[in-house]
Amino acid sequence: MSDPATVVSGDERVKTTSPLRKALLRPELGAIFGTVVVFAMFALLASNSGMFSAAGILNWSTVSAQFAIIAVGACLLMIAGEFDLSIGSMIGFAGMSIALLAVTFGWPMWAAILVTFAICLAIGALNGFIVVKTGLPSFIVTLALLFILRGFTIFVPQTLERKTIIGGIREAADGDWLASLFGGKVLTPLFSWMGDNGWIEVYDRGVNAGKPIVDGVPALIVWALVLVVFAHVLLTRTRFGNWIFASGGDARAASYVGVPVNRVKILMFVFTAFCATVLATCQVMEFGSAGADRGVLKEFEAIISVVIGGALLTGGYGSIIGAGLGALIFGVVQQGLFFAGVESSLFRVFLGLILLLAVVLNTYIRRLITGER
Amino acid sequence: MAKPVIEMKDIEKHFGQIIALAGVSLEVVPGECHCLLGDNGAGKSTFIKTMSGVHKPTKGEILLDGAPLSFDTPRDAIDAGIATVYQDLAMIPLMSISRNFFMGNEPLVGRGPIKFFNHELANEVTMAEMRKMGISLRGPDQAVGTLSGGERQTVAIARAVYFGARVLILDEPTSALGVRQTSNVLATIDKVRKKGVAVVFITHNVRHAMAVGDRFTVLNRGKTLGTAPKGEITSEELQDMMAGGQELATLEGSLSGTV
Amino acid sequence: MKSMFKALALTAIIAVAPLAFTTTANAEGEKYILVSHAPDSDSWWNTIKNGIALAGEQMGVEVEYRNPPTGDLGDMARLIDQAAASGPNGIITTLADFDVLSGPIRAAVDQGINVIIINSGSAEQAREVGALMFVGQPEYDAGFAAGLRAKGDGVESFVCVNHVISNAAVAERCRGFADGLGIDLGDSMIDVGQDPAEIKNRVLAYLSANPDVDAIITLGPVSADPTILALEENGMAGQIYFGTFDLGTEIVKAIKSGVIQWGIDQQPFLQAYLPVIILTNYDRYGVLPGNNINSGPGFVTKDGLEMVEKFAGEYR
Repeated sequence: MSDPATVVSGDERVKTTSPLRKALLRPELGAIFGTVVVFAMFALLASNSGMFSAAGILNWSTVSAQFAIIAVGACLLMIAGEFDLSIGSMIGFAGMSIALLAVTFGWPMWAAILVTFAICLAIGALNGFIVVKTGLPSFIVTLALLFILRGFTIFVPQTLERKTIIGGIREAADGDWLASLFGGKVLTPLFSWMGDNGWIEVYDRGVNAGKPIVDGVPALIVWALVLVVFAHVLLTRTRFGNWIFASGGDARAASYVGVPVNRVKILMFVFTAFCATVLATCQVMEFGSAGADRGVLKEFEAIISVVIGGALLTGGYGSIIGAGLGALIFGVVQQGLFFAGVESSLFRVFLGLILLLAVVLNTYIRRLITGER
Repeated sequence: MAKPVIEMKDIEKHFGQIIALAGVSLEVVPGECHCLLGDNGAGKSTFIKTMSGVHKPTKGEILLDGAPLSFDTPRDAIDAGIATVYQDLAMIPLMSISRNFFMGNEPLVGRGPIKFFNHELANEVTMAEMRKMGISLRGPDQAVGTLSGGERQTVAIARAVYFGARVLILDEPTSALGVRQTSNVLATIDKVRKKGVAVVFITHNVRHAMAVGDRFTVLNRGKTLGTAPKGEITSEELQDMMAGGQELATLEGSLSGTV
Repeated sequence: MKSMFKALALTAIIAVAPLAFTTTANAEGEKYILVSHAPDSDSWWNTIKNGIALAGEQMGVEVEYRNPPTGDLGDMARLIDQAAASGPNGIITTLADFDVLSGPIRAAVDQGINVIIINSGSAEQAREVGALMFVGQPEYDAGFAAGLRAKGDGVESFVCVNHVISNAAVAERCRGFADGLGIDLGDSMIDVGQDPAEIKNRVLAYLSANPDVDAIITLGPVSADPTILALEENGMAGQIYFGTFDLGTEIVKAIKSGVIQWGIDQQPFLQAYLPVIILTNYDRYGVLPGNNINSGPGFVTKDGLEMVEKFAGEYR
């Protein structure tokens, strides 16, 4: 605060602000605006391509939900001032763990899922523990875990089964109470009723003829919504949420007033691992197999969603709603470009442009809010 | 004179081979502003970190209300009523004023195991406390980054006092501030002292110290050179003691007393 | 306030502007989408892209090529869903993992979209998901044939340089090769990743650690090109028996110079070209060949390289 002109001694130096500006100036403003632009854009370009049919909506919302699940964890972790580059490897690792335990070792599915969650949360805690104890940048620590986990994910199934894709999960999960929490669909009666009434498209041939093409909301989307709401409430409405902001904003200042910064950071690593494992579990339940290459580069997709959502890479600032919208933008753009018939190799060009624009816009908004310069 | 709230007796602190503090003593009574002066490297920071529970003393005693105690964490010191406002670590600029104000002491509302951050109460208290200190805010959700350096110090001091600090340690609160902001902070110190809080004011600026100090202790090369009450010592004498005497006196001659 | 809106408006314009240049107009007529499992980095699929483009041009239909950028099969399943939702006349897709892809493919078939499976998978799997046919090279059989040939040339042991360890179908080639030779695959398959420098160094390391290996089998240009460099470096080029699956510019050169004894061409051009032709004629006139089509294996040796050389990397 070197600018003497900002010395404020009374009311007359505080600029008055309109309520509209105040309502608009939020960390997620950029993401809200981006969402509107992206939907408007595709409404123009891809309106008759099936993008906004029931099947089309399900397609991009499922992709967005995938991003959102890992973005929620990455967002809280980033606000707490840390990174996790091992998210993608964790997804592959968790899926493979479930497959090996349930198929190769023949455990009941619920046990395979619970043990996998326990292992992955422990790895998340290890990530956090190493980061807070050594003081090394989380970037490096989790980069190491990225390789270690991916290596195990390829090595173990190859050693045990001589292959890197383990199938047969759907059969193993059949009728399992816990598996249905990750692989099922909700609101199926509503959708078949809508199908019967001709409001949504139905299959016109095959064994499913007459059934709606979209027969329910996948558990993946439900998980995404639940995690977004949970994390948003945790961040904005609880004491712990304040600690997350404080830990990322300035770890030393926070610990001087008694915030248990190390515990907060470790817990956020654990939560990130939890989100990655949720996604992995949903994926293996849906696809029925686990592959050693699942989740490659997913950590960047999570981080991109979070950054589009207005979070600051260096921590202390961000919004879960923003991250959720960032995931939505990412998913809609990725799938929408295909619907719009854009050459698929240009997808990365768009991704880069959107990321750049989002960061510029978000930085501008953040400066307005926080008085940074 | 009233009984001291806190007494530091012959505190020594060694970091490996380095002796940062070699026997420092200090006592503070309620309602006084005790200035701790010293040049860079004199051991001021180590001493206040020992006082606020960040470091454990290698030797020496800390007495609170006459009873000895030791702090394991900063939290222990805070619970004992010793609050520290650090020069640059006072506030987190990205967070709102009310979130900063209640950082580590968040008010809760709700029944059963699920409790929420009581933003309503936090906002109300923040606005009221800031008004008392003479700062008007746009709103409690204004980010600290939009405040000036002096205002940030004031918020930090108000926070410490609100949460029942009996001893308030201020680490160079004025060193990075302009003239106008400095006088605001000094006025705040005066307000706090009048409430009966014991203030330890660390500075290397003799003028700032003379403006609000009741007693002065000078620290040089890890040792206290003695304590003098207001009126029994001049700013020139303080300046000399801080610099260890000779060099500055010589220099002062050639600079004709402008230092 | 004003400046904020200005910034927002500007952002909007910049975001939308590039689209004006890249949107391809939806042509009237049939539309076919080819979905592959290959990551962006795999150059072998260029032949496939060229193949559908040529067929699209000749038949006057719209064709699109899509692939998961990182090669994640989970993403590929979404692409098939998405392709189905965009309502094309037909989908041409690989079946790299039956578990992951059979659901989306079956759903597309049930929506009334004609599907042809190419490249990965098998005739049985294609029938099971309700596809019209399978166009490709039966991988195990191709490997087995190559193994028999190598055995005839006196090969007794080999190393299989696998750059797509997670693709079970491709690994079948090595299994078939081992069975053709009449030996156990054992630890002969090495995972080398996709990076050329890493592949080269791992091949060098393996060869110096296992000096008694007779033969090298690579599974495509991604692993063959660096292997050629590795052999040139350690002086084994032309000395060790070297066969490869799939063709590419460097492979053709190496066959010509005698570093590689033979290449097994699965003729990807046909895998891309034929389905477009077949689907278009099926949609227009209702005619459909009665069989699955084996696009390979075709052994390419030093003799008769002319055409291959001319179109290597483009159509061959």
